[in-house]
Amino acid sequence: MNEHRVRVSIVGVIALALFSALFARLWYLQVAASGEFVAAAQSNSVRTLQEPPLRGRIFDVKGRALVDNRIASAITIDRKITDEERGLVVPRLAELLGITVAEIEEKLDDPRVSPYTAVPIALDVPYETLVYVSEHQEDFPAVRGEQLAYRRYVNGSLGAHLLGYVGEINEDELAAQLGKGAYQLGDTIGKNGVEQTYESELRGKPGVRRLEVDSSGRVLRTIETRRPRPGNDVRLTIDLDIQRVAEESLAQGMLGARAMQDETFKEGYKTYAAPAGAVVVLDALDGSVVAMASNPTFDPNEFVGGIATPRWDQLNDKSGHFPLTNRALSGQYAPGSTWKLVTAIGGLQSGAITPGKSITDKGRYSYPTDPQRFFDNDNRIAYGSVNLARALTVSSDVFFYTIGGDLYYRQRRDLPGGDAFQETARAYGFGALTGIALPSEQSGRVPDAAWKEQINQANPAAFPYPDWLPGDNIQFAVGQGDVLTTPLQLANAYAAFGNGGTLFQPRVAAEITDAAGKAVSTPEPIVIRQVPTPGRAEIIDGLTGAVYAPKGTAVEVFSGFPEGIVSGKTGTAQVANKQNTSWFVGMTPAAAPRYVVLAVVEEGGYGAATAAPIVRRVMQAINGMPLTEIAVTAGGGADT
Amino acid sequence: MSGAVLTDRRARLQASPLRHLDPLLVIPPLLITALGLVMIYSTKRTQLEQLGEDPYQFVKRQAVAAVLGVVAMIAMIAIDYHKLRELAIWGYGVTTLMLVAVLGIGADVKGAQARFDIGSIQIQPAELVKLFLVLVLAGYVAMHREGLDTGHLLVALVIAGLPMGLIMLEPDLGTDLVLMAITFTILAVGGVKARHLIVLALAGASVAVVAVNVGVLEQYQIDRLTSFAVEGSDPRGSGYNQDQSEIAVGAGGLTGQGLFEGTQTQSAYVPEQHTDFIFTAVGEELGFVGGATLLGLFGLVVWRTWRAAVLADDRFGMLCCVGVLAMFVFQVFENVGMAIGIMPITGIPLPFMSYGGSSIVVSFACIGLVANVHMRRFS
Repeated sequence: MNEHRVRVSIVGVIALALFSALFARLWYLQVAASGEFVAAAQSNSVRTLQEPPLRGRIFDVKGRALVDNRIASAITIDRKITDEERGLVVPRLAELLGITVAEIEEKLDDPRVSPYTAVPIALDVPYETLVYVSEHQEDFPAVRGEQLAYRRYVNGSLGAHLLGYVGEINEDELAAQLGKGAYQLGDTIGKNGVEQTYESELRGKPGVRRLEVDSSGRVLRTIETRRPRPGNDVRLTIDLDIQRVAEESLAQGMLGARAMQDETFKEGYKTYAAPAGAVVVLDALDGSVVAMASNPTFDPNEFVGGIATPRWDQLNDKSGHFPLTNRALSGQYAPGSTWKLVTAIGGLQSGAITPGKSITDKGRYSYPTDPQRFFDNDNRIAYGSVNLARALTVSSDVFFYTIGGDLYYRQRRDLPGGDAFQETARAYGFGALTGIALPSEQSGRVPDAAWKEQINQANPAAFPYPDWLPGDNIQFAVGQGDVLTTPLQLANAYAAFGNGGTLFQPRVAAEITDAAGKAVSTPEPIVIRQVPTPGRAEIIDGLTGAVYAPKGTAVEVFSGFPEGIVSGKTGTAQVANKQNTSWFVGMTPAAAPRYVVLAVVEEGGYGAATAAPIVRRVMQAINGMPLTEIAVTAGGGADT
Repeated sequence: MSGAVLTDRRARLQASPLRHLDPLLVIPPLLITALGLVMIYSTKRTQLEQLGEDPYQFVKRQAVAAVLGVVAMIAMIAIDYHKLRELAIWGYGVTTLMLVAVLGIGADVKGAQARFDIGSIQIQPAELVKLFLVLVLAGYVAMHREGLDTGHLLVALVIAGLPMGLIMLEPDLGTDLVLMAITFTILAVGGVKARHLIVLALAGASVAVVAVNVGVLEQYQIDRLTSFAVEGSDPRGSGYNQDQSEIAVGAGGLTGQGLFEGTQTQSAYVPEQHTDFIFTAVGEELGFVGGATLLGLFGLVVWRTWRAAVLADDRFGMLCCVGVLAMFVFQVFENVGMAIGIMPITGIPLPFMSYGGSSIVVSFACIGLVANVHMRRFS
């Protein structure tokens, strides 16, 4: 054992020696010679360069490119260029590229270019020029030849509101995105439309190059390189052909309205202003948006590479009627007679009417407690004995006023069914966001007694009456008064009724694929809820009658259409201090709708006059019929 | 000398060996582990935040491993170490088989196949070998009281050589060096004749030379080894780790740049800083004060292990402690040595500090073994 003791002691001595060596060296490094290492650490620094990923593309439902990227060979100048270098480089570049010094100076000072990226001086430069610049770096300090990717909106303004645009991330967006994928200043981000809502799919993952540089900024070595991963592609539910026809038809219809005399204006000759409008085409069977148009519009290509401030101000000026606004889901309008679908369902739900019950329409209606206050049909036309279907066909206001009055009576007496309008409207998705994957959607408004009391308390001067009055319910019945809807909500409600009672969340993306085309995800249709569809046969009869039956409100517009193709409803909504809003909601085929097509034109006059021809032309495209151009001639047509 | 007194004393001691648990042995590893968690966070957080990931993810995994380690330590303390002698043979067999298996199906990390991935748990059998080799070799050598003759020595060398050969195939040079240190120390203390020891040392050296020249080692291992020896060769190439870690430690100065303030550490200049180069983060951010304190804690562990060896009740216990001591001393000296530029770079973790679950569990188990021997020295 003694010899072992000795050996263990030797091991201990060795261990002590080794530890002493570590202490000694550590003392030397950190205390004795620390200064030179501090200097070495300071001269040493890492520069991290982010390489932007190629953004994913956007396709229409048939795989046709709506948005892709253009790769341009560009000459750029680094922001860190010194004034001295600038004085030398700019004239040389001007000569090489065949442009003036002033042009280059202007680009260098262009505030649109991100302060965090190099400034592109010339795009689509010939290959020889790129080579020349890179081979003569000493003559062109801070100048680089590189490949830049630019977003390209293939069809110009077509689908602009749906697609949105991209731009440099701002500080708010940066704060909102923090921690969700490491954005930094100078990065590109989707700003509107699908570009915004599918940002996380489209963006991809930036590449990173970490370079070790010495104190004078020379690159010593590359520490790490990660290639950027391109973004996923998004295939939309939009059909490019239908979208094109929808936009054309909307523009034609608005032009037509501007040539049309406003006959409701008695103090002289005046045409419709028709400054703005929207078209929505939905697939009723799964909630897919087939087309969505909003006018006025814009060209997203204008935003590529930064948009000039004057142009941006112009796009956001009142005089231009806000072309960036997607009225299909941000516009909130009184629905007028298109609302009668909801009133009819509410009336049937409440028991106030039955599908077969007739009411005598003498052209005007008054509530029993206030017999001197009249609610009139348009031009006080009397339609005689009308049942539900006929009332929809000819758009009898009196029929629906009567339901409104009846339900008001039930509300007051706490009888069952009194709130059937509001309940039906909310069930069909009004007063709430549809949840479509597009930004800036508005929720509209379903007015009721509680709402009226609330706004009165909030602002008694503007809203003096706290009570829900008979007139409120009666106006509500014909889509007037305080009810507001977005075009998308209204189209979606018709789709739910048309498909037999399934309210879908409208969707714009059909499929996400990776850059190689492999499916990443396929968004399934989302059902919001099942909704009641009482009297469906009679209502469809009435809506089909509006297009085909004698005295139907849209018969003239659809003359020549084969039987059974279209059913629909006109709407002409009165707006304080403005001309009437023109509406038409159509369904095709008439009795078993597959598609819903809605058009609305602000200050566009009668529904049959302006909106219905727009819908007609889109219906023609959907059904493969020859398109009828919308005539720009004076004309009217009566409707409520 | 009454029998009653003796029985009474024995009973008392047997009933409570825990009373002899050495706090100076058990507490320093816990402190080192805690410091390790802080430093792992420091080295990884910037990188992880840039990737948009949880900056604590490595710390959390290491903490789980540390808890497992303490459990392993308690288990090692609970079982009388005499029983471990037989159990270890099974452990040795199983880990050797795992080494064979890992060559076939292990995950490839930086050119070496060294571990199993079982879900999110990764097991490095080479780490487990350290513990079992100590036990089995100590057990074998302890059987031969009068020292080892040539035949016995050869058997001992086969016991050590089998796993080492398998580990060489992964290849994992660092672990083999640790196993060599363990083997050599146990044999030396266990009574191998002086001339045998000299032969062994020479043989070890020539194996190293042959390995470098015949291509058993990968080129990157040779480069790293030789760049240490050739001053200033290729500062941006294979000697990069060494330069950067030295700069980091040197820049720390007396009191360091402050926790989470080290520029080298936070900009991730030093590769593998959360694993093999974790000492550089301590050096840069906590300075000489922090580095020396850490070395002091390791010194405590080594001193108490040495003391346990000296006081051990039997040869087996003593040799176990000696083996563990060799392991810790070699790992600390090599790991810290490479960070401060006096040893060549090889992949050896700093016990209790470096990120890596198998290493921390085995290190705690070894502490448990030493504590066990120390506690039961009167039994």
